Amino acid sequence: MAEISGVKLQIAGSRGDTKRVPLAVVFLILLQPGMAMVNTQQGAVPGRIVSIVPSVTEMLFAIGAGSQVVGVSSFVRFPDEVSMLPRVGALLDPDMEQIFSLRPDLVILYRSQSDTREQIERAGISVFTYAHGGLLDVSETMRELGRLTGYRSQADRVARGIDTDLAVIRHRVAGRERPRVLLVLGRDPDMVRNVYASGGIGFLHDMLDAAGGANVFAGVSREAVQPTTEGILGAAPDVIIEVRTDGLLTPIDAQNSLVVWDRWSMIPAVRSGRVHFLMANELVVPGPRVATATERLAQILHPEAF
Amino acid sequence: MLQADSVSFGYDGTPVLHAVSLNAPRGQRLGILGPNGSGKTTLLRLLAGFVRPEAGQVLLGGNAISRLPRAAVARRMALVPQETHLAFDYSVIEIALMGRYPYLSPLEFEGPQDLAIARDALRATGTDKLEDRSFTTLSGGEKQRVIIASALAQLTPAKVAVSTAVDSVLLLDEPTASLDLGYQLELVSTLRTLNQDRPITMVVSTHDLNFAASLCHELVLLRDGRVIATGPTESVLTRANIRALYDVDVDITRHAAAGHLAVVPIARIPLAAD
Amino acid sequence: MTASHHGSRRRRFVSLQLAFAISALAICLAAPLVGPTPLRLDAILDRSIPFADNVDAQIFFIARLPRAIAGALVGSALAAAGVVLQALLRNPLATPFTLGVSAGASLGAMLVIVLGVPPLIAGIPAVPVASFAGALGAIGIVYALARLRRSGLSTNVLLLAGVTLNSLFSAIIIFIQYLADYTQSFQAVRYLMGNLDVSSYTPIAWALPLLIVAASAFAWLPRSLNLLTLGDESAAARGVDVLRAQRVAFLSASLATGAAVSLGGPIGFVGIIIPHVVRMLVGADHRLVLPASACLGAAFLVSCDVAARTLMSPLELPVGIITAMLGGPFFLWLLVSKR
Repeated sequence: MAEISGVKLQIAGSRGDTKRVPLAVVFLILLQPGMAMVNTQQGAVPGRIVSIVPSVTEMLFAIGAGSQVVGVSSFVRFPDEVSMLPRVGALLDPDMEQIFSLRPDLVILYRSQSDTREQIERAGISVFTYAHGGLLDVSETMRELGRLTGYRSQADRVARGIDTDLAVIRHRVAGRERPRVLLVLGRDPDMVRNVYASGGIGFLHDMLDAAGGANVFAGVSREAVQPTTEGILGAAPDVIIEVRTDGLLTPIDAQNSLVVWDRWSMIPAVRSGRVHFLMANELVVPGPRVATATERLAQILHPEAF
Repeated sequence: MLQADSVSFGYDGTPVLHAVSLNAPRGQRLGILGPNGSGKTTLLRLLAGFVRPEAGQVLLGGNAISRLPRAAVARRMALVPQETHLAFDYSVIEIALMGRYPYLSPLEFEGPQDLAIARDALRATGTDKLEDRSFTTLSGGEKQRVIIASALAQLTPAKVAVSTAVDSVLLLDEPTASLDLGYQLELVSTLRTLNQDRPITMVVSTHDLNFAASLCHELVLLRDGRVIATGPTESVLTRANIRALYDVDVDITRHAAAGHLAVVPIARIPLAAD
Repeated sequence: MTASHHGSRRRRFVSLQLAFAISALAICLAAPLVGPTPLRLDAILDRSIPFADNVDAQIFFIARLPRAIAGALVGSALAAAGVVLQALLRNPLATPFTLGVSAGASLGAMLVIVLGVPPLIAGIPAVPVASFAGALGAIGIVYALARLRRSGLSTNVLLLAGVTLNSLFSAIIIFIQYLADYTQSFQAVRYLMGNLDVSSYTPIAWALPLLIVAASAFAWLPRSLNLLTLGDESAAARGVDVLRAQRVAFLSASLATGAAVSLGGPIGFVGIIIPHVVRMLVGADHRLVLPASACLGAAFLVSCDVAARTLMSPLELPVGIITAMLGGPFFLWLLVSKR
């Protein structure tokens, strides 16, 4: 993947040459999840960036381009600077008027927001699209952003830092027995029903893997799985980790909500008391803090190594 | 046998029948004649007991039907509606067996008696060969006869043959309305036979003058909810009465070959200015 | 060609009924043994293994058996309600959802999901309760409307009221979904597809008394339903208490539907496919069609649920999708074969 991205990055670097990109390469680019696509029309570094994607917003601040960010998503919480920036909506409800009123020269959207993208490009504004991918895509996207915004070296440095941190974690848990983990992203409140768990692809699965855990649904090639009761019982996880963004519940309520698992004492994780509720924004936003998030997971799975 | 004693009725305040009285003695064939809107259908519904009169009462065998239990009335009086539309398809024998409803409790199944009675009833209307046919595949006339058979089965008490004399009433609503000429004649013959054999008192609502003339002993002429004439057919079916009933000038003759009065419409009479 | 004596009429009824009942029972008993995880019967029944270690037993008693029971109850309730409502409305295209009961139930559930009502009120799950309350509300409104005109229960007004309620409630449901946030919306959509994964016997215990009440009314109805086919007045002329029969039919069918939807969500097509198939097989006599439909409905839904939980394991395909995928082609086939 690195080689192909190298090819792709080179092309994007020579702005204005996009028209001469061979069709085959364009096709390859379109197949890469998590890769960015840029429609550049100006040669200058974008000075006013609006970002609807919280993870990209975090990355921009991490690589030093924070001063260029003029509008952010309604859902972003990190870093603190974003609290003073105007909100432009989110995935389902982008506020076009607000976006245009901020006079951006680069807008960052989700890959699936094709209508929004069309509207913005028609106005002559560049668009950078993003889709969640695996753990590797985090550093790749960061490097890409570095090139886009003119903070290449800082981006490379931060990306390298993340890669290093992850490598350290991987090293620490290497050789240890991997517990079977059910990573729960959501469920009916107060009941174990309509459980929404991490599947075998995506950044959450990768983080779990790096943290030394074995995802019970590693064999399912989807990012999210809604297993049946049978699926959960059959999976017999050794550890259950419920993952949520923070701010939804107080820590006490979070702990209390775990009582719903008491009925399920036949599951090994419940029997041995290894059910955890993690409320952390960094766990659901695949941005510069992924290494921190992975470390939190690793601490739960292999406490003796940390 | 069946009497209406000065009954009045209206829908939502609109009066439809004013103090209508009629009497159908045992074994008689009575016809109710009138134009559309005269209240014929309402009168029939009152006689059947579907609605209660606002004034007056309906008597079956001398008892007010409003005071008789539903099943008791059903065992003595049956209705043959103008048309029967089935939502689902039943076989002819099943339709005939439905007439046995008033004799069975909700969870009871029809017994061999009931089956025999139903079969006899079909035979009486000449439809026994159609027993297994699906009702919806029958012709208009065949359907009519099956419904009559079902009514017959309804009027036959348990443990008794269909041919036994029992006091009962058959109401028919516009029975010739959707029948071919041939079937119309057949119907007259079937009804006459049933009436004479059992005897079954019959009350027929119709606007077919010749049919009434060929079938009914007595007539009740109804216009705008009021009885304008009643009595034996021969005396009631006159030019003057028809004119008063239908605003039509007719010629009435005793038809030798047919054996009953024949009515031939001649001209429409313009409505008199009020 | 015909049952030439009464004896074989009744015999035919009884033997057909037994055939339906036995095959339904067989399917419902076999269903919990079938699934993506291979189970061993001896392991399930082995008392010597502590339950907490016996995954086979866990899957059987917690995951599969409640599903099979719920599926049987919901399937038979919806099929029977379908038969009764088709007879009441004199229309073979009527379904248990025609008169707005399911829309009311869905609205109740939606409100709980989206308004953030605590999902467990005193230990009782709110969604099924609200669902049933919504169903009762819909029943009440439709019944009151139908009684407004004259004395008697006009089936035309019933139908109109039901259709109106369906449109109105559907519009409100869509509006509520629009207001919902992402997760709630998802939860709402999943609810509407039906879900028999109850994983507990409690919801079944709650639904059972309601279904028993409905079933006892169903036992009384079949002969009256036969006569109602002829028309209200023909039925009345034969001594049927038409108003009472209509009332009982409407209320019992709606109760069964409300209980079924509260248990498994609005699962469509069962209530219309099964009565059709049964009538094609055994004729239109409701004394046979009603119980046979209940049996076939149970077997059908339980089988669909086996498919729902096995086809895309460990993912769950909502059972409403399976019934819909069977329903569509079924009607296409009906249309084509009728010529």
